[in-house]
Amino acid sequence: MNALSIAGLRKTYGNVAAVDGIDLEIPKGCVFGLLGPNGAGKSTTFKCVLGLIRASAGRVLFAGAPLEPGAFERIAYVPERSVLYDWMSVREHIAYMQSNFRGFDPERARELLAQLGVGDERKKVRALSKGMRTATAVALAFARRIDLLLLDEPTSGLDPVNQRTVLNLIINEAAQGTTVVFSSHQIGQVERAAERIAVMQRGRIVLEGVVDDLKAGRKIVEGILPSDDFSINGLASDARIARIERNGRILRAYVTEQPEGIADRMNALGAQGLRVVDLSLEDIFLDAVAPKAATASIVEGV
Amino acid sequence: MPVIFTVDPRSGIPIYLQIIEQVKRSVALGLLAPGEQLPTVKQLALDLTVNPNTVARAYRDLEHDAVIETASGRGSFVRANGSADAASVAAGRDVARSEIDGAVRAAKSLGLERSAVTELFETSLDRWLPEES
Repeated sequence: MNALSIAGLRKTYGNVAAVDGIDLEIPKGCVFGLLGPNGAGKSTTFKCVLGLIRASAGRVLFAGAPLEPGAFERIAYVPERSVLYDWMSVREHIAYMQSNFRGFDPERARELLAQLGVGDERKKVRALSKGMRTATAVALAFARRIDLLLLDEPTSGLDPVNQRTVLNLIINEAAQGTTVVFSSHQIGQVERAAERIAVMQRGRIVLEGVVDDLKAGRKIVEGILPSDDFSINGLASDARIARIERNGRILRAYVTEQPEGIADRMNALGAQGLRVVDLSLEDIFLDAVAPKAATASIVEGV
Repeated sequence: MPVIFTVDPRSGIPIYLQIIEQVKRSVALGLLAPGEQLPTVKQLALDLTVNPNTVARAYRDLEHDAVIETASGRGSFVRANGSADAASVAAGRDVARSEIDGAVRAAKSLGLERSAVTELFETSLDRWLPEES
């Protein structure tokens, strides 16, 4: 049974769909990275999933069951904007968490706060920098005993050392079987910590998969054709190719799976000097949200 | 145990494949001896700051390739059957095979004939691995 199961989730404001029909299955123990440009609907998705804003349509299940108040004991959520109280000290927040969550470990919280450089717990939240607020919110969340962690940009505003600490906290939780869903603009972090990702754009999911499988399948296969007007009939209809760019004798195929097979096929068609170019997650992400449209002149003859 | 593996998560090569290659290399070079324990999945994940399931996937494949074996509850170990030499030769061959495969593939796509590729290999062999006289 999946830790989190989302089906047909929608949230509309007037006639604008902030979340436009999302389906996601997140297995237990998975670290799931949610990527997407600003305004893609990531934060709205988090809030709808947790019932903090009412979804217009859709169904969300936590370990197979709809959300009920008791479930919050085993779920932690760190929103994009800190929900700490300005007028309260860090120590008061620790006491507050302790009285609200049975699984909260104040010693662990202090340990994490120290690790993240929030030294003086008598300080009011008001006096903390943005990064230190994020660090405090993250430390309080990780000090709870939970099954599911939802983190909306948990590393934003953190210095590189603390970013790495938070990534290792995520990895440590995952190694203990906690399911973690986190959003981030830092693709390098998602690339490290996440096993699976989804890329959102304009309220929809435009790409989803296991990071390593996406990297294994998505490559550019480049080859040189014998002449400018050489015909490679049928290649464009190969389901493994997302799109083809052609510039004179240079043929470039954006492959989604089995790049070696495409290279062999292009070779059999007469292309030479075949190169399979690896794509980083950043390349794959950018291609998913803004594929460079191949112009008519380039695809002509394909 | 000091970390002997390095991976580049930003590369387009899947992280689990990078780990597999590193482990095979380490066995081939004797950095990991037969019977030696590998870091736990959690430990290696934290050392490299990569997802634990990704490390677990690499270990599963290494087990499948008979490079390591996992004793439940005790951890993963470099396979100890046969001599140290046999294990390292096998792992070395695995790594080299994929390099050579890539080289032949590249030569083919550059339009070279089999005879030309054979000639290149012989030249290369004479240079790096000359037969003892």
